[in-house]
Amino acid sequence: MDSIAPYLGTLVVAVPALLVLVVGAASLFGRPLPERKLTRCIQFAIVTGLLAALVMLALMLITGTRHVPIELGDWVSIPHYHFHIKFIFDRLSVPFVILTFLLCGTVGAFAANYMHREPGFTRFHISYAIFVLGMVTTSLAGTIETLFAGWEFVGLSSALLVAFFHERPAPVRNGLRVWAVYRVSDAALLLAAVVMHHLRGHGDFDQLLGNASWPEGVSHIESGATFVVGALLLLAAAGKSALVPFSSWLPRAMEGPTPSSAIFYGALSVHLGAFLLLRFSPLLDASPALRVAVIVIGLITAVFAAITARVQSDIKSALSYASLTQVGLIVMEIGLGLRYLALIHILGHGCVRTLQFLRAPALLQDYRTLENAIGKKLPSRSAGVREWAYRFALERGYLDILLDEYIARPVIWFFKKSDDLERRYVAWLRGSVAATTDKRDDASLED
Amino acid sequence: MTSSSAETLSPSEFERLRQIIIKAADLLPSQGPITAYVFDNTLRALEDLPFHEALKRGGPLFGCEPYLSLARFQQEYERGRITDADLEAVVKEDLGENAQQNILGLCTRSELWLAMLKFPLRAASAAELRWFIAESDALKKFLPNAAPSLREAPLDRTRRWILQDVLPHWSETKSRDGRPPAPSRFSLFDDVFNGFDVGQIERWPDHVWTEFCLQTLWRVSHQIASTVPLAPVVGPPRRPRDILLELTNEDSDVLVSSVLVRLCAAFTDQGLAEWVLPHREEGLFAAFIKIYGLSGGPPAEWLRGLDKELDRIAEQRLGPLDSILESLQLLGVTEDDWTDFISTTLLALRGWAGLLWQNEVRSDRVPIPVPAGTLIEFMAVRLILDRFALESIARRHGVAKEIWQHGARPQVKPNHTEDRIEARTFLLFQVSQFMGWYPSVLFGLSAAQTSDLVRELETFSELERRRLFQIAFERNYRQRALNAFSVQTRQQAKRVEDVQFQAVFCIDAREESFRRHLEETNPRVETFAAPGFYCVPIYYRGVEDAHFSTLCPIVVRPQHWIIEEPLYSMTQVEGRRAATRKALGTAQHQVHVGSRSILKGALLSASIGVFASVPLVARVLFPRLTARIRRKAESLVKPLPVTRLRLERLDEKPSQTDSGFGFSLPEMINFGERVLRDIGLTQGFAPIVMFFGHGSACQNNPHKSAYDCGACTGMAGSPNARALAAMLNDPRVREALATRNIIIPATTYFLGGLHNTGDDTTTFYDLDLLPRAHRPMFEAAKDTLDQACERNAHERCRRFYSAPLNLTQSDALLHVEDRTEDLAQVRPEFGNSTNALCFVGRRSRVRGLFMDRRCFMHSYDPTTDDAEATILARILGPVVFVCAGINLQYMFSYIDSPGWGSGTKLPHNITSLLGVMDGAASDLRTGLPWQGVEIHEPVRLLFVIESTPEILEKIMNRNPVVGRLIRNEWVQLAILNPESNEILHYKNGKYEPYHPDVVDLPAVAKSSDWYHGCREHLGFATIRSS
Repeated sequence: MDSIAPYLGTLVVAVPALLVLVVGAASLFGRPLPERKLTRCIQFAIVTGLLAALVMLALMLITGTRHVPIELGDWVSIPHYHFHIKFIFDRLSVPFVILTFLLCGTVGAFAANYMHREPGFTRFHISYAIFVLGMVTTSLAGTIETLFAGWEFVGLSSALLVAFFHERPAPVRNGLRVWAVYRVSDAALLLAAVVMHHLRGHGDFDQLLGNASWPEGVSHIESGATFVVGALLLLAAAGKSALVPFSSWLPRAMEGPTPSSAIFYGALSVHLGAFLLLRFSPLLDASPALRVAVIVIGLITAVFAAITARVQSDIKSALSYASLTQVGLIVMEIGLGLRYLALIHILGHGCVRTLQFLRAPALLQDYRTLENAIGKKLPSRSAGVREWAYRFALERGYLDILLDEYIARPVIWFFKKSDDLERRYVAWLRGSVAATTDKRDDASLED
Repeated sequence: MTSSSAETLSPSEFERLRQIIIKAADLLPSQGPITAYVFDNTLRALEDLPFHEALKRGGPLFGCEPYLSLARFQQEYERGRITDADLEAVVKEDLGENAQQNILGLCTRSELWLAMLKFPLRAASAAELRWFIAESDALKKFLPNAAPSLREAPLDRTRRWILQDVLPHWSETKSRDGRPPAPSRFSLFDDVFNGFDVGQIERWPDHVWTEFCLQTLWRVSHQIASTVPLAPVVGPPRRPRDILLELTNEDSDVLVSSVLVRLCAAFTDQGLAEWVLPHREEGLFAAFIKIYGLSGGPPAEWLRGLDKELDRIAEQRLGPLDSILESLQLLGVTEDDWTDFISTTLLALRGWAGLLWQNEVRSDRVPIPVPAGTLIEFMAVRLILDRFALESIARRHGVAKEIWQHGARPQVKPNHTEDRIEARTFLLFQVSQFMGWYPSVLFGLSAAQTSDLVRELETFSELERRRLFQIAFERNYRQRALNAFSVQTRQQAKRVEDVQFQAVFCIDAREESFRRHLEETNPRVETFAAPGFYCVPIYYRGVEDAHFSTLCPIVVRPQHWIIEEPLYSMTQVEGRRAATRKALGTAQHQVHVGSRSILKGALLSASIGVFASVPLVARVLFPRLTARIRRKAESLVKPLPVTRLRLERLDEKPSQTDSGFGFSLPEMINFGERVLRDIGLTQGFAPIVMFFGHGSACQNNPHKSAYDCGACTGMAGSPNARALAAMLNDPRVREALATRNIIIPATTYFLGGLHNTGDDTTTFYDLDLLPRAHRPMFEAAKDTLDQACERNAHERCRRFYSAPLNLTQSDALLHVEDRTEDLAQVRPEFGNSTNALCFVGRRSRVRGLFMDRRCFMHSYDPTTDDAEATILARILGPVVFVCAGINLQYMFSYIDSPGWGSGTKLPHNITSLLGVMDGAASDLRTGLPWQGVEIHEPVRLLFVIESTPEILEKIMNRNPVVGRLIRNEWVQLAILNPESNEILHYKNGKYEPYHPDVVDLPAVAKSSDWYHGCREHLGFATIRSS
């Protein structure tokens, strides 16, 4: 076990990294791989990764090991302080990584046909490869900085895929919005990492959360700081999983080609926030306030999404709010300490939703088949909903507008004002003579 | 927002407004529910205009490209799809007597036009142009495409001109030391001289002279370009939104759509969302007022005050038209601008507006239609939102009312003089190189001459050049097609002797290859073609169907209801199966709905969720195998294979009740007679006569019905074929037909079937009734058909890039089956994508002609028709309309896929169970998706009809639709003389004899010898074996 595990573990991570390198380098040097070869590469990478992960799981089950760390060295190491590249195979990460390979593999096979002859075929698959790498890195991360790296890969590739059809304005607009929310969430995660490093000098999970393997860890962070770190992580999770109040990006992410909407938002990356909370679940034990916050956000999200889902009259929005309902519940389960349930829930939900998203274009035929079987128009439409409730749901809880009006607008106002002040200050420093030349600088700045 | 009343307006003005909106609705896409796809001319509203004029109008009106781009046409020219001969013929014809007109002694007009077509003229935005001039070697080397002979002469002439005429002047000006030179008429070139080492001028090598020559040419061109005044450019009418967008870079349509799209989707929803829009039954306007009139609405800045405004509208009891009038006044739209303003505003969200309108006027096509007047209500809602959005943007950016409230005047574009002069210079600069015009020649032109020259170049605008290319593109194919017809039709028109079986297929272009392969496989097969609903328009409900479907072209409303039912003795068994199906269906539906709710969803995904990975992986990775297993499993609960159509009616009148289903005997007789007469099968019946409907199986495809039978409103036409066969087998029908001179021998048996154009399989109905004696014949026929299926699949595979070219025939069949079962397949087939021709005449005249699946066909025997051409007239009515609709929809969806079509289908999202959007909120996308038209060639359909000009004129006069389409040249027409093989081409209202320029066609033994190894469109050939 000990002799083979490190190789297997490294293989699981190395394969997607290699895929990104090969696919990316080929395009970088102006010789993008032809469709067939590209598809082969992806198949090979995914199957190898999946097999390695499965063997790892088998080994762990046979030997009863519950915690296999893989050390790949340091980013930075100075006394009392280091950034560590480390991966952990445990009961949380292994199922998650297997799910990732399974769903990404299936969707990859799907996309190979679906994207055939599309001018952005290579571009799509590069984003896809980065996404897989991000997912695998995040799931297996053993330190918060490694996790952050994966988290960023996922965010970058997702935003690029939302804006995949960049010749139309709407996808670009929506991609940018997804990106903006992701940045907030990334910033929170980064801050959490900084705080952890500040407190302990490193971001290694096994030292922060105890040596016991997941989910039995115990928080080793000072209780005061626990809430701060936890709140930051919750913010990060909320952005990535589209929890209230960030929910409105989820339907907007449906601009990309069907396969990317399916895996990325429907099935995998929308669970990433929940995964983060699971990873840090020992913190929840240490801070009841945090626990309550998680439960409340989860519950609100679930109820909000369930109501909103009822009025969506297009299939992809309906499915994305349906996804969100379950993600809200999963977050709530995590808050309640039902960690295994949450994990199983994620796995099951990921599979169901991927299938539904991939079959979304078949909705018309499916409805017809169902109606034929039942012999009449499909039932269960409820009229007589109150107008305000309907409007609330139709407008998706006004969350989009609230973020715009109460977050984005003040922030932009603040920075504009600051910018103004700075300019005036600079102008004052230079004296009035220089004011004319300054005008030109202004113009170029605004460009 | 101030309130203003519309009381001053008289009822007639209301009526006028209503009429304007309804008239504008004609412009909207005519696509109804996507589940019953109807092919229609995308520019139906402009059909009253000649084709090219309609495009000229339609392009800017809809904001779409009217033709392929010049670059695309240039490519086609380079690869030989458009030849020099085509261009020359087209230019000659278009210019008529003006062709030889001399232009300033430089060339004839036709020479100029030809050069401007043949040589790629670059046109670019001002910035791109400046970059091009500064950074590329445009001023250093002659354009690469200019012929070498055109380079040497100007170089030589320029050299002499410079040395003899220009240089002396320049030296003079230089010699006056220090003082500014007196302006000479050559001072234009001072800068050019300054850039060169003039001292060495006599030793300049060629490349320096080239550079010098080009720079002088540029100078001269620029001078000419700037001296001729620019004509003002008038753009299409602009809405206030356009003005504000230009000024502030904020698009009010984005704001408005964010509310309106959801509202329209909720309003038209056929059952996707669980909650129904409150007050839906009261109409869009009332629902909007009641829902958004409540306080505490969306807190968006631009919507502030909407609740109060809606309250006011409710209080003052303003109707939709009142509200529109009020909004028009508030937006400063004067009555003169109403028409333009309303049509451009409606077109801003044309997909949804069109769907609302379709649901309003064809309420029979959707289960939950919208009330009458919805489009007007939509307009009212839209304008209220427009007001809020526009005012908010104007307020925030401090744009004064007077600036943006402009109604919808045509926009007089700012001249951007400098940019336009640059563009003009560049045009002249390039043309001069292609034409071999020297700087000296241009320099010597008088002011009047230069202005003539510039006008000459600018009249032959980009749009005009594209128009001519389009005509040349069509001419090329037409010549080849008419050549092929004139050669092939030399063969004698005769029926097949000793015929084994006869097969009738749909008029569809896809069946061209199937007919051909069938005849190739067995020369003793005779085929016919008729519209796929076989002139039996019905509402049909199959054994396992919940609803009736409409099986006939969209313009016909059926009078009869036909159902399929289990055999009487099997009623109980079928009842049990139906109950099982119902239970399974209900459970499946529960899962489907439950997965989207909180608790059921949680239970489901947390318990059995992971097992969803099994069908997920299986269906994606092993589509064919999974489909076979699924079908096996389904066969346990599917209806029994033996069923009957209920054909004969008990009641006097047809109705949608149990005793009202079916036809009366006289109706059956008439239906039977109609098709046989139309296709000219009134004698010489084979022992087995088959009628095939066609449909297409495929997965995960919202546009599936666009692959089904166009003559059956996007459904499979097999029930019609089956009904027809059953009627013709009825002894009473035969008896009656015998009295009408159609004697069907007792040994003849009719069969109805289905050709699946997706996986190339055939299915038959009511085989259990086949007489025992016919079984061996049927089995032999089935063998032939199976072989034809294989060959057909093989021919289709050549067009699929994911199918290797060396596929064997049996592998080809597996490949097409794979395509139909694959969830990820966005091109299960190409439908009628390749259509370009339509032949109406006897099959025997074109039998054995390889037409590359590009030809619609309707069998018609002119020798059996009367002097009034009754049969041809009733054939052409629907055929011209339907085929032109199909052809033009493919054409426009191809020419500008995101504009006229629905763009790539990859981000499509089914909405309201009626259509697709791009992503989560966009306009409804109408037209065909790119993946469905990818291999199309945009040419107008060429009809070849076996008849005479006199008859055609009569028909065109009698049938205004046919007349309009042909006379306005939305389709091309050629007439094939029924006796000789003389062909007349219809052009500008005249029939001109066509003189073929070939005497022979390539001949091959079988189709595969001809298409083998080719992916692209193929020419015509004669297949010897049929």
